[in-house]
Amino acid sequence: MPLTLPEVDNAVIERKDKIVDDLSKITKNIIHSEDEIKPYETDGLSVYRQKPIAVVLPETTDQVSKILKYCYEKKIKVVPRGAGTGLSGGSIPLADCILLGMGKFNKILETDFDNRCVVAQPCVANLAITQAVEHKNFYYAPDPSSQLACSIGGNVAENSGGVHSLKYGTTTNNLMGVEIVLMDGTILKLGGKHLDSEGYDLLGLITGSEGLLGVVTEVTVRILKKPESVRAVLIGFNSIEDSGNCVADIIAKGIVPAGMEIMDKPLIIATDNYAKAGYPRDVEALLIVELDGTTSEVDTLIEKVLDIAKMNKASYNRASNSDEERIRFWKGRKAAFTACGVLAPDYICMDGSIPRNKLADVLGYINKLSKKYKLNVANCFHAGDGNLHPLIMFDSNDPEELKKAEDFGADILKYCVKVGGVLSGEHGIGVEKRELMCEMFNDNDIQQQLNIKNAFDEKNLLNPGKVFPILHRCAEGGRMHIHKGRDKFPDLPRF
Amino acid sequence: MSEIFYPKDEQDVSDFVFDSFNKNNPIEIIGHGSKKIGRIIQCSQTLSLKLMNGILEYFPEELYIKVLPGTPLNLIESALKEKNQNLGFEPNDLGYIYKGQSDPGSIGGVVSCNLSGPGRFKNGALRDHVLGFKAVNGSGAKIKSGGTVVKNVTGYDLSKIVTGSYGTLCAITEINLKVSPIPDFEETFVINNLNYIEAIDIFNKALDSSLEISGACFFSEDNVSFLTLNDVKKDTSILGLRIQGPKSSVVERIQVLNKMFKDQSTSVLDTYQTAIFWREIKNLEGYANSENFICKISLPITNMGNFLKHFKNLKFKYFLDWGGNIAWCEIYNNSDLDQMRIFCLKHDGYLTVIKANDNFRQREDFLTNSNSNLKILSKKLKESFDPKSILNPNKMYLGI
Repeated sequence: MPLTLPEVDNAVIERKDKIVDDLSKITKNIIHSEDEIKPYETDGLSVYRQKPIAVVLPETTDQVSKILKYCYEKKIKVVPRGAGTGLSGGSIPLADCILLGMGKFNKILETDFDNRCVVAQPCVANLAITQAVEHKNFYYAPDPSSQLACSIGGNVAENSGGVHSLKYGTTTNNLMGVEIVLMDGTILKLGGKHLDSEGYDLLGLITGSEGLLGVVTEVTVRILKKPESVRAVLIGFNSIEDSGNCVADIIAKGIVPAGMEIMDKPLIIATDNYAKAGYPRDVEALLIVELDGTTSEVDTLIEKVLDIAKMNKASYNRASNSDEERIRFWKGRKAAFTACGVLAPDYICMDGSIPRNKLADVLGYINKLSKKYKLNVANCFHAGDGNLHPLIMFDSNDPEELKKAEDFGADILKYCVKVGGVLSGEHGIGVEKRELMCEMFNDNDIQQQLNIKNAFDEKNLLNPGKVFPILHRCAEGGRMHIHKGRDKFPDLPRF
Repeated sequence: MSEIFYPKDEQDVSDFVFDSFNKNNPIEIIGHGSKKIGRIIQCSQTLSLKLMNGILEYFPEELYIKVLPGTPLNLIESALKEKNQNLGFEPNDLGYIYKGQSDPGSIGGVVSCNLSGPGRFKNGALRDHVLGFKAVNGSGAKIKSGGTVVKNVTGYDLSKIVTGSYGTLCAITEINLKVSPIPDFEETFVINNLNYIEAIDIFNKALDSSLEISGACFFSEDNVSFLTLNDVKKDTSILGLRIQGPKSSVVERIQVLNKMFKDQSTSVLDTYQTAIFWREIKNLEGYANSENFICKISLPITNMGNFLKHFKNLKFKYFLDWGGNIAWCEIYNNSDLDQMRIFCLKHDGYLTVIKANDNFRQREDFLTNSNSNLKILSKKLKESFDPKSILNPNKMYLGI
């Protein structure tokens, strides 16, 4: 599958041996043979593949700084990579880049219960943070479904969320500090073990910046005490509309559940077949609501939620009475992606966010598209925070099907924006949604973002070709400043 | 006296800034002018966003509100209250410290300062509640970022960088804020007769529990007069822990606290008293009419005790908020302030001057001087929004 990436600097490729030789003076961990480099040619968006000129695996911040400084001086592009689980192609290499693999930054540096935080290197897996503190009943709240494998540094890059972000927020709301290295090798500490920072909120800007502004070399996240009681309830509906209305009513009644997930019928069947979660198979939509807090609070809220469900014509309900049962409720949902893998040779997982009240509308539209493109789709939805994950199934051996699946996905995201939503809730833009940015932003908006990129990386060497469209410009939406007839940043990619 | 321009809409703002950009004329951006925070700046013209006010959209079930920057905070809070919702970051009404009376100002001003109330350590900072915005940057271009949904990774999160930028990056013309349900019920568990070491220890025990404490403050004996509420003792220190939620849960959690701290001198403030108690704290009402420096000191909890110990012989007033993460201080002279600032810098924290006299504001930084690399990046960031530095120049740092 051809992917348009920034123009290749062949001179860099020709200098490969010299570059590898120079970098080996900084670290011995360099991979550049064809075979060894193969695992690094793609990430979680595996339909795209590209080999870099070399993979460098530093072990210290000082090495990261030296590598970046060298590349900055020699004008060599750098693509940072964590665990490589990203779904939008944010760490897909370029033909003329150094892939900066952070895999050796895999240690938890400090569990600081007094300040209720953990200091970790960026390639520590998300779940490993919770595992490091759960003996004292603490946990790290953001829980993307890939939490077993995805890295905390990657979570910072993508501002990852998970099923509990309605109540506990996404990475940005749980991140206290980072150490980053800029493209010119400058090492900066942002935030720390205190709350908030003075000056510009660079920590907030870095979070979700998809590895375009700096390379994260250390992360400080806050940890929370586990709630006293957690219960979940399964609620079945005969229509998606009813499930959506139920979610809106729960919120309107002032209840903020820890998680609220909806699955449509194809996914209910697929996940139940796969995980034997005990889901009702005769419903059109299944809502999982998880509530946490003190025991009496949770019990009261469960009753309230069941009342609201009844008013919204729920045809099935079951509340968990043990932690084992609650975990079983989630088992199917958490296996959604794997379960779809059984249904079709390939699938792509889309990631739009929409206003909650547009759920039925958007799902109706997705079903129409499914017929139009003749491709099956299953839907799961972080209903609490409006984050939709349609899973489009196809066979990548048929190039036409891949094209159809991509067009299908693009149509879904365009519709998400049309109803007041956004292109990505938690997977990021990467290369996957790059060209769709104009659905949300005009030239002025994009130019402002490029100006920021320029402030951090004026040579545009760090992860270029991601996030911003490179094939075309967005429609003019207002005044754009051209200084003396020239663009202010002539070297920046224009689209 | 600078000329004041009152735009009626975003286009007006864009035209005005574009014209100023071409003429190299710096602009002071103001909302309602209620906050005297930051360096005093000299500009020949002022852009007041006061007339751009009103609620554009409010969808309670979607948990967001879209407002114009000059909208009075009071108006927003009243509209939310009708639907039993509020702004979860509990915006401070700083009118008390600047004017001796309530004057919460505009939402644009509140967002520009990124100050958050007592629940910050549980509910997040103001910046965590800004979902998106529209603005005009320093070259007059209309820009936007974010949206109205909570989960959003579509381009850089400019809401974060614009929040707390004191109008130095752009003139905000529209703000989307997350809103939260008002808890059904709340009470405050009070413990008296503690010194600061014991207080921090109690904070840690309480916040290490699963009790979901949403406010945790401590007043030492010599600053307890800060509180005017008649129902609290005035001859001893006070530590307050706020519990919010369904009534049965609040009652249950207060009982747990009673057991945890059964050896202490304790009492409970009811819902009515609780509202007043935390309002006084949120608005720094006890520092009203002070002629001294009012400062926010933020440190890791483990360093806060060291801070108080280090300066125990210095004459200043303080109370701890956010479970010991910050101290709101009244400091009497510049040299004490400098010493404290140096301590904060050395101990992973900072000191922000929230209120100072004009002489200080003309000469000194209200923010702790960050390291030089950070300052270089901040300057570049400012230029990326405002290439000729015409928006509130020098307001945050001299030269930025």
